Amino acid sequence: MINRPSNAPLSHPYWQLVPGIVLGTGLIGLVLLGLGSLLVTAGHLDFSVVWSSRYLRGVVTFTLWQAVLSVLLSLLVAVPVALALARFHDFTGRALLLRLMELSLVLPTIVAVSGIIGVYGRQGWLTTMVSEWFPHHGWNLYGVNGILLAHVFFNAPLAARILLQTLEAVPAPRLRIASQLGLRGWWLWRTVHWPAMRPILPGLAALVFTLCFTSFAIIMTLGGGPATTTLEVAIYQALRFEFDFAQAALLAVIQLVICGSLWWLAFQKQMPTSLMPGRRFSNPITLRYSVSQRCLGAVLLWVFFVFLTLPLFAIILRGAPALVPLNGIPALYFQLLPATGRSLLIAIPAGLGAVLGALLTLAATHKSSGKMLSAIPVTAGYLPLVVPPLVLGTGLFLLLRPGLGNTAQGWALVSFINGLMALPFVIQVLRGPLAELDDNSRRLADQLGVLGWYRWRWLYWPRMRRPIALGLAYGTALSMGDFGVIALFGSPGQPTLPVLMYQQLSSYRVADAAGTGLWLLGLLMLIFVVLSAISRPAIRTQRVTASPSVVEPEHA
Amino acid sequence: MLELDQLSFRYPGQTTGWQFGFSVAPGHCVAVHGASGTGKSTVLNLIAGFLEPDSGAIRLAGQAIQNLSPWERPVSSVFQEHNLFEHLDVATNIGLGLHSGLKLTSDQRQMIAQSLDRAGLAGFGYRMPAELSGGQRQRIALLRAILRRKPVLLLDEPMTGLDPDAKHNLRTMLLEEKARGAILVLASHDEEDRKVLADQVWNL
Repeated sequence: MINRPSNAPLSHPYWQLVPGIVLGTGLIGLVLLGLGSLLVTAGHLDFSVVWSSRYLRGVVTFTLWQAVLSVLLSLLVAVPVALALARFHDFTGRALLLRLMELSLVLPTIVAVSGIIGVYGRQGWLTTMVSEWFPHHGWNLYGVNGILLAHVFFNAPLAARILLQTLEAVPAPRLRIASQLGLRGWWLWRTVHWPAMRPILPGLAALVFTLCFTSFAIIMTLGGGPATTTLEVAIYQALRFEFDFAQAALLAVIQLVICGSLWWLAFQKQMPTSLMPGRRFSNPITLRYSVSQRCLGAVLLWVFFVFLTLPLFAIILRGAPALVPLNGIPALYFQLLPATGRSLLIAIPAGLGAVLGALLTLAATHKSSGKMLSAIPVTAGYLPLVVPPLVLGTGLFLLLRPGLGNTAQGWALVSFINGLMALPFVIQVLRGPLAELDDNSRRLADQLGVLGWYRWRWLYWPRMRRPIALGLAYGTALSMGDFGVIALFGSPGQPTLPVLMYQQLSSYRVADAAGTGLWLLGLLMLIFVVLSAISRPAIRTQRVTASPSVVEPEHA
Repeated sequence: MLELDQLSFRYPGQTTGWQFGFSVAPGHCVAVHGASGTGKSTVLNLIAGFLEPDSGAIRLAGQAIQNLSPWERPVSSVFQEHNLFEHLDVATNIGLGLHSGLKLTSDQRQMIAQSLDRAGLAGFGYRMPAELSGGQRQRIALLRAILRRKPVLLLDEPMTGLDPDAKHNLRTMLLEEKARGAILVLASHDEEDRKVLADQVWNL
């Protein structure tokens, strides 16, 4: 068929294909360039250095060990929680718990860590309580305990949501039959739940592993010293304090090889399309259960609920006094406001860029034919998951080093990398709604000549505005909470909110840090509320458009 | 005259395909007849350009149209359902048929309102499709098709599942179009539809 362009603006099919391909090629090129400059700087990679140095050997071993433990613990919590959530639809507070699980996904790591300190730290609520009964418990948050706790706090809700989604995706007839046969316990697990979970477990484990393996802010704040340092932190230290670029490059290569081969192992057959949690849930089908099972489920969900809420309460209760003006404006504001400005300056372009990039990538994925061509946007969309931000940052840092003079350039780079890191998650938010235009509507629109810009304006925009706002909120929030890339490129004299908070935490100004944390948390809420409000359609639509899916942040 | 000249088509993986060949004069209606799965929709999709024929030609008034894109073809379709964009109100749904970017003149807006009046749907312009009954939705879909003033109307089971009153309404509208010289291609498994509307039958 001859594809003659119609008179609608931008209706040539190339407009959907070329920008995404160009963008994808550019991103892949840039990542390769960054990695290339790493390799060049590292010179001949002398891996024997790693094994001969006790420190480096320790770092690699610890990184692996804590990541494996974190994966096991997170899944150990997530599987029962997801099962309980899937089975007990009438659990009071189920909706609230799901929301909370979402919130903990966009919570900036540094804020959550301060909340965790408020609960489990030396002066924390729980620690104080326990100390009254068991004075010699010997609990110390700093070190491996805290790292694992924080990793579980972040990754168990994420894993549970993804697992819950696969459990909810079990075909209704199968559940009905299981319900009719009265299957329960071991057999229910064998026939329904395990087959549903098994296919995504490797990918899920790989995702959690990568997030914990490249964990940065948690290690920086809760790690207890050289004995509990990860590769990511070691890279940062090598770059920032020792100016040992060769060592940084070496460590970055090790990290990339481990992460890369893990993803390769997990996804040899398929791309991780089902890895992001969504929010669409089916009608409940009641399965047979015993009373004790039900009680156990309820207790489990309540404990999990408390586990997630306690740190949040700690942030609110400890932060509020620092922010509320009792006598005059608290001095904290003189630091907060400029930091807020800087954070927004970095985060808003990052969010916008991520949304634009996601739309172009999706359009090109949809439009491209041929193995090579369609691989470009798909790869570009997932690349940021495989290449840790600090590795990419290091590469680009080394590449641009002589020219990277002023702060503005550094911020632009941070904004860019933040946007890139948000790309996979924003893509996941937008993919579903974008694919929702059914075949019939598409044909009809073709016949009416609603193409190009007109199609976007009349058919996509009305149903995409909410998902786009959500994607923008996620992208912006992820960048707002970033404390990894900014630590590398930012200057301590001009901190963003997370950096400011880190500075306050490390100089033991705990009250100020709590105030900053609450402020940042409030700001993120505000972003979500405002974007959700302005994206509400002006005219009433009858059918509620697809509920947007939910993504997890990468916590640096 | 709409002519299908040895138009053949096969879905990928199918062993035997179809071959269509018939012609319809202006003001006439051809009913495509056959059990479900015999290719009733296929022939309509071929004429509309949603499917690409393997060989053969489609001609309207002597002009070959099989190489045109769907938006360039002189046809309007009405399907059994999903004719309306659910998130847009009735007037917008019709308006997109007049200009694909909804840049309408005041005359055109007036025309939409008047035709809604005439179809017994006065004041429905701001309603959303989900608020309407099946018959009302189909009438609106047909209205849009009619207002586009294309010489060929492709009707894919447009009255299936409607109540007798609604069927009667739609048939009346279609008969009017026929009288004005439109070419109708109707796929319907309803005996009555064929009896009332069709002048000739093409058996699959």
